[in-house]
Amino acid sequence: MKLTTNEATLLSAVTTPNSEAARIARGLDMFVVAILFFAIIAAFHIHIMLTVGDWDFWVDWKDRMYWVTATPMLLIFIPAALSYPFMMRFGLPIAGTLCAFCLVLGEWISRIVGFHLWTYFPYSMIWPAIVLPGLMLMDLVLLLSRNLFITSIFGGSAVAFAFAPANWPILAPYHEPVVHMGQLVNVADMIGYSFTRTATPEYLRFIERGTLRTFGGESTLISTGFSGFVCMILFFVWWKIGEWLTNLGTIPNVMKKHVGLGDDDDEK
Amino acid sequence: MTTMKSSKRNALNVRAALIKSVLLMVLMCVTGLVLAHGERNQEPFLRMKTLHWYDIKWSVENDSTIQVNDLVEMTGKVHFFSRWPEVINKPSTIFLGNATPGPVFVRVETYLDGVPMIQSTGVEMGHVYDFKVILKARIPGRHHVHPMINVESAGGLVGPGIWITVAGDADDFVYSITTRTGTEIANLGSYAVPNVIKWHAIWATVGVLWLLWWFRRPLIIQRYLLVKQGSWDQLITNNDRKIAATLIVGIIVTLIYANNITKEKYPRTVPLQGSKAHVDVPVNKYAGMVTVKNLSAEYYLPGRTVTVKAKITNNTNSPIQLGEFTAANIRFVNHSVPAAMKGVDVGYPDELVANDSLKVSDQTPIQPGETKILDIEATDVAWETERLSSLLNDPDSSYGALLFFYNAKGERIIEEIYGQIIPTFID
Repeated sequence: MKLTTNEATLLSAVTTPNSEAARIARGLDMFVVAILFFAIIAAFHIHIMLTVGDWDFWVDWKDRMYWVTATPMLLIFIPAALSYPFMMRFGLPIAGTLCAFCLVLGEWISRIVGFHLWTYFPYSMIWPAIVLPGLMLMDLVLLLSRNLFITSIFGGSAVAFAFAPANWPILAPYHEPVVHMGQLVNVADMIGYSFTRTATPEYLRFIERGTLRTFGGESTLISTGFSGFVCMILFFVWWKIGEWLTNLGTIPNVMKKHVGLGDDDDEK
Repeated sequence: MTTMKSSKRNALNVRAALIKSVLLMVLMCVTGLVLAHGERNQEPFLRMKTLHWYDIKWSVENDSTIQVNDLVEMTGKVHFFSRWPEVINKPSTIFLGNATPGPVFVRVETYLDGVPMIQSTGVEMGHVYDFKVILKARIPGRHHVHPMINVESAGGLVGPGIWITVAGDADDFVYSITTRTGTEIANLGSYAVPNVIKWHAIWATVGVLWLLWWFRRPLIIQRYLLVKQGSWDQLITNNDRKIAATLIVGIIVTLIYANNITKEKYPRTVPLQGSKAHVDVPVNKYAGMVTVKNLSAEYYLPGRTVTVKAKITNNTNSPIQLGEFTAANIRFVNHSVPAAMKGVDVGYPDELVANDSLKVSDQTPIQPGETKILDIEATDVAWETERLSSLLNDPDSSYGALLFFYNAKGERIIEEIYGQIIPTFID
């Protein structure tokens, strides 16, 4: 699309090194980045708290089936939706990475202040999952391909395919076997049993219930594969939702005339 | 080194205390005083017709002080009422635990009828189960400590509680275990946390560097106009593409490498265990010994009195007397029955035992084979303080209780009583 004369002048001004326009534009960048940073922390964090919830709160809920299946699917909504305006309006393939970083930061703040300092749960029980590699791969595929279908297939599925491998190095120590009261459990089970969650009893945990795990016993692989397939579709759907929301346009400000301003070109 | 560690720890403690103080002040502005676990807030029909806890013993006395790392043992019996409320699920899935303010105590061991209760189980209504809960003090403070059974879809049903003050320093708490593979875990609460932080830090660094790679350039106005102009070569350069390709390879290689070293370090792992424990249905040793039928029951509001007229038949070979009426963890004891009085341990929470004696219209023993109609009167302010008077607001205006009978040898027979309860509002 061709720029208008005003836009071309503005582009020329902001690209001139050390110009006043460049400084103001940079100031605006910093201002928007700061607001965006807190907005994404709040929105993405609350979304994950409400949807993934207990599966990510507790070490003894991080199973091979639901945690691995559900988390990537729920992770991809907001980054995929934001990828559209980030990439198609600003050429920035960083929505996934920014969302992942903001989410993990928000999660850690919540775990330290809310879960540990306020309610005494130990860190071994409440660490959040690592989500950055998958969402970053999604960004990188988008950058290289600049194609919605390729990013849906390879980038969307990468969110799921990277999730279990990214988290196994931190989860594995908690899956060492323990015998307690003559019962075989793992360290995570033991932590969950020991540190009382008064209103979250054992029977509320959904540990590999259902038939998904019966294909060859490789629960993590099966769950990851299924999640990856769904993530491909979800990336496409949420990209489209992002596109629709981005292109909603603006509502003309009818109050402007009362303060002596006329309509902008795009409002006529 | 130790001094540095301790001063760092103190600084962290001070920071934690400050954060808590601010949050507490905010909360105090908007809330009233709350103690314990809201057990009085549970509907009376739930408390009267679900679980009856008795013979509860704590290894420490009410209002005693213990140190961090000290053990507390709670034992007793829990009776699953046979007339379970229709509005909640039957206790086919339950979990034995403790009601404490979160993990201020660590749950060390729990048993139902001797079966380890690390998993949930199912029980039969109308039966009595022995329970044992062993806790370890972790966080200093004054805590209300109860046994509790969570029932699926009914929530936590809390037993009688005592106050325990935990003294000492939370940092001194230790809970060590050894895994089946021989790993010595010095403290379960901090186990493998440095590894978690390390991997989070590695990935966060990669992410931050990638974001900075973009944030160092003009972002909004310039890029918006360049997109509009279609100058993608300026937006995403060859360098960007090279770095992106390198990062894709780097991330995949890191994931493979990390998983390989993890596999080498932890070759033997087991998944989370989600089975259900099995507890045999205990034999009801009191079955048929006494027949109890509720004829009428009234709740006299002004006098905080529940009066029950019951038809009781003694089917044993010995004369028996009614010694106790217990409902919703409140005990009304007949002071003229010595064996019943003996059942109230020194140090048992005062607020859970009525001051006045249980009044029984006929104190003479019920002879073998005899049937008597007794007026039983349970009066205490506890009906009000324990918020049992609110049973008039329940959708199920009925009551449930256990009656404890004693023979001359002091042997106890327990039977359920239940029925409709009718309010009396005026003298």
